[in-house]
Amino acid sequence: MRKVKQSWELVEDFMNGIEDPVEHIYRVLDSINRWESMVNAYISLESPDILIEKAEEISRRIRRGERVGRLVGLIVSVKDNICTSFLPTTAASKILDPYIPPYDATVVERLLREDAIIVGKTNLDEFAMGSTTELSSFGPTRNPWDLDRVPGGSSGGSAASLSYGGADLSLGSDTGGSARLPAAYTATVGLKPTYGLVSRYGLIPYGNSLEQISPMARSVKDVALLLDIIGGFDPLDATSLNVDSLNTFNSIKADARDLKICILKEMVEGADSPINSMFWKIIEKLESEGANIEYYSLPILSKALPTYYTIAFAEAASNLARYAGIFYPTKGSSSSWEEYIGESRFKGFGREVKRRIMLGVYALSEGYRDEYYVAATKVRRVIRDEIVKLTSKCIIASQVSPILPPRLGERIDDPLKLYYMDMYTVVANLAGVPALAQPIGFHGDLPIGIQWIGGPLEESKLISIGLLIEDITGLRGVIVD
Amino acid sequence: MKVMIGLEIHVQMSEAGSKLFCDCKANYRGMKPNTNVCPVCLGLPGALPVVNKRSIELALLAAVAFKCNIPRYIVFTRKHYFYPDLPKNYQISMYEKAGGIPICRGGYVKYLDVNSWEWRECRIRRINIEEDPGRTVYEEGGIVRSPYALVDYNRSGVPLLEVITEPDINSPREARTLVEYILLTLEYLGITNPRLEGVFRVDANISIEGGERVEVKNIGSTMDIEKALNYEIMRQAMIINSGSKVERETRHWDAEKGVTRPLRHKEYEEEYLYFPDPDLPPILISEDMVTKAKEIVLGFDITILYENILKLGVPRDIAWSIVTIKPSLDVYIKTVKLGADPLVAAKILGIDYKGELKERNMDLYEYNNWPPPETVYELVRLVVDKIYTYDTVKGLLIPKIAENPKVDVRSILPEKAENIEDIIDSVIREEEKAVKDYLSGKKQALNYLIGMVIRRVGKRAVDPRVIREALENKLSKLKSSM
Ligand SMILES: [Zn+2]
Repeated sequence: MRKVKQSWELVEDFMNGIEDPVEHIYRVLDSINRWESMVNAYISLESPDILIEKAEEISRRIRRGERVGRLVGLIVSVKDNICTSFLPTTAASKILDPYIPPYDATVVERLLREDAIIVGKTNLDEFAMGSTTELSSFGPTRNPWDLDRVPGGSSGGSAASLSYGGADLSLGSDTGGSARLPAAYTATVGLKPTYGLVSRYGLIPYGNSLEQISPMARSVKDVALLLDIIGGFDPLDATSLNVDSLNTFNSIKADARDLKICILKEMVEGADSPINSMFWKIIEKLESEGANIEYYSLPILSKALPTYYTIAFAEAASNLARYAGIFYPTKGSSSSWEEYIGESRFKGFGREVKRRIMLGVYALSEGYRDEYYVAATKVRRVIRDEIVKLTSKCIIASQVSPILPPRLGERIDDPLKLYYMDMYTVVANLAGVPALAQPIGFHGDLPIGIQWIGGPLEESKLISIGLLIEDITGLRGVIVD
Repeated sequence: MKVMIGLEIHVQMSEAGSKLFCDCKANYRGMKPNTNVCPVCLGLPGALPVVNKRSIELALLAAVAFKCNIPRYIVFTRKHYFYPDLPKNYQISMYEKAGGIPICRGGYVKYLDVNSWEWRECRIRRINIEEDPGRTVYEEGGIVRSPYALVDYNRSGVPLLEVITEPDINSPREARTLVEYILLTLEYLGITNPRLEGVFRVDANISIEGGERVEVKNIGSTMDIEKALNYEIMRQAMIINSGSKVERETRHWDAEKGVTRPLRHKEYEEEYLYFPDPDLPPILISEDMVTKAKEIVLGFDITILYENILKLGVPRDIAWSIVTIKPSLDVYIKTVKLGADPLVAAKILGIDYKGELKERNMDLYEYNNWPPPETVYELVRLVVDKIYTYDTVKGLLIPKIAENPKVDVRSILPEKAENIEDIIDSVIREEEKAVKDYLSGKKQALNYLIGMVIRRVGKRAVDPRVIREALENKLSKLKSSM
């Protein structure tokens, strides 16, 4: 393990002439060369020539004193379910390989406007359906901290690219924990924003009502920097909240004595013991520094996981209907239309995607819809109301995942085990509230994270508490050596 | 034999400006295939629908006009079916169950049946706002034999109103009249232009007492509604008369052959996997929006407009003729406001000017083809003040105005034949034989004499009746003096 500068410090140093964007891109390319063949964090990479050229141009502009953006010279990786017009966007599915969208996602436009350099598109579970980044048609991503283990998912490629130094910042997406789980498994930071704070325009949908594009980085302050740039109203997304971008970057470290922390029995039960003990150590530390800790039970949370999966699968089944071999690369060959689309979907989708489509169709079918989909939306409303009520009083602390990063192949064949990995994270997606995952320690080589859940648009509170935890643990800007 | 007909009328909101969820044009006519498209209406992954407010406002006008229950919020639903011209393989539509809320539930239309001049009523079950799919074109041999299909997505995402009626209609003629009335209402409200190619489609449910309901899809004109329903009723009646039962099925109207045909596929239970579109939050229909819509609807209520004309003493057929052509009604109302005689103005606009435009094959619905109200006022004045006869105005002035509606009436006034007495005298003098014939009892000789007078009058305005009267006078004097 070693520590590197945070991205926001790097920007300052570029501006002061202490660091040079060109040297920096060479450094990042070195890491990619060294790690990528083992880790497989990226599905597609921008050509080094273009990257170097961009860095040179930025370097010149800085030297000339021209106006530059807030992410100037930073190397950003983007999850491959976020549309880019200059690199293929596949959602890790064969059915979209090698689709190049004719447009950029709103978040990508915002990155480019701030002079970020997009280095490549990161691996994920196909259509973000998974928690390990093994279910990609481009092969699994491995955890740089232990190459036999998964980096979590579905934003595993993004997390891995950060933890080996293959990017400064990354955009993931989080439907049920897809940014926070990989963050916890790779000692990086991931923040799932309030639903509607970040535009979904250009995010290939999995569970539309649940997901948000999520900033990922190696420190809390870097996550805040990225969040401020991608957040704020977008007229192209009807679910976008009519708010300006938040100013979380200037949040100051929380004082433990001002903290009100709630711990929900249902969100800490059942975790493996190394995770448990590390979590309680932090809580005790905060309590000893004056934080107010309260304990609650929300029995309805026992229904969170089935509720989440029912809604996500239903939405997914609908969203994925469009891939039928007309606009997209994987085609059928039959002259019968029905057979043709069947063929293209049979060839193009992986097994887990097919499973989720089937279950989603079932949940929406006439005669079952009320029992499954409609019932799930009702439970969801109850969960949301409870969580919003609770977060108006306190910040919820919980673990991120009940288990340490599994070995490759360990859970892939048992869907129920796979789904279980999300049991602590789905709550924030069901409730639409922000949640931050950050590292608090290691068990051997394996990172362990903590999760903070706030009320709607309380991202600044989460950043403040995150800064405090970083001071306690010293885990900020760590990468694998 | 009691017939029950219910209709589903799909009308494009062609006047909405843009498509329902993107900035592409709502009226795509005349564009090259696949040029009126963007990531949203092509349903590309990651593109998101954002509702065009104008479509909602227009749909609300329809809901108010048809006296619907209007919800506080509307909720769009996804309706899934695989079809090449449906780029997402689901259509963003509305549904009354599964969490969806349509813009209208439970309204009615009171419409004028111009065949019997009776008012009828048809209940509206629901009005949905939805996106139109693209268009599939089959080459050589149509859907069955064409080796390939071409898809044009210019139409994909165009806002549609789906008006679903209760089965309150009892004859094909009524069905046609109702659809015409609904289209006229939507035209008046500025929602659609019913004359655009392919702007509406009708599906009809027909059942004859005791039989099952048959759905006939794909009826594309008001004339075809009557044809298709007549055909279908005849077909069902034959089945019943032969002692069989009408089965529940979906049939397709073949406009070219004038028959309904069963669809290739067997009817199966429809499974559309309806659920609220998570990309589109519920849309508030505020009281303010409804109030505004009510004001607009009141101003364009065809029933009120029609009855207002009747009140001026205009016969119903002329009144209805004016109402069915919006530009003519606009000119009519303004002309009457200027103080013109309502009956003469109605005759000019509702019959003779309209007839002239038709004769010339000019577009009746094009505002520029109609004269300004000042012009019509002047024509009415010429008649009422007896400066010219109505026939002179009709025969000499209306064609010139139709030729150039902006023309100054004064510049085309025919010279008045003031010396008509002299002309008549000289004709009597010169046409001795005809005069003799007439005086000896050959009445048809009078027509010859009238013709001779008119020939001499030339292009100047004169009423043949006046000539006849004057001639008869003079000739009878002549007779008594003989
Ligand atoms: Zn479009």
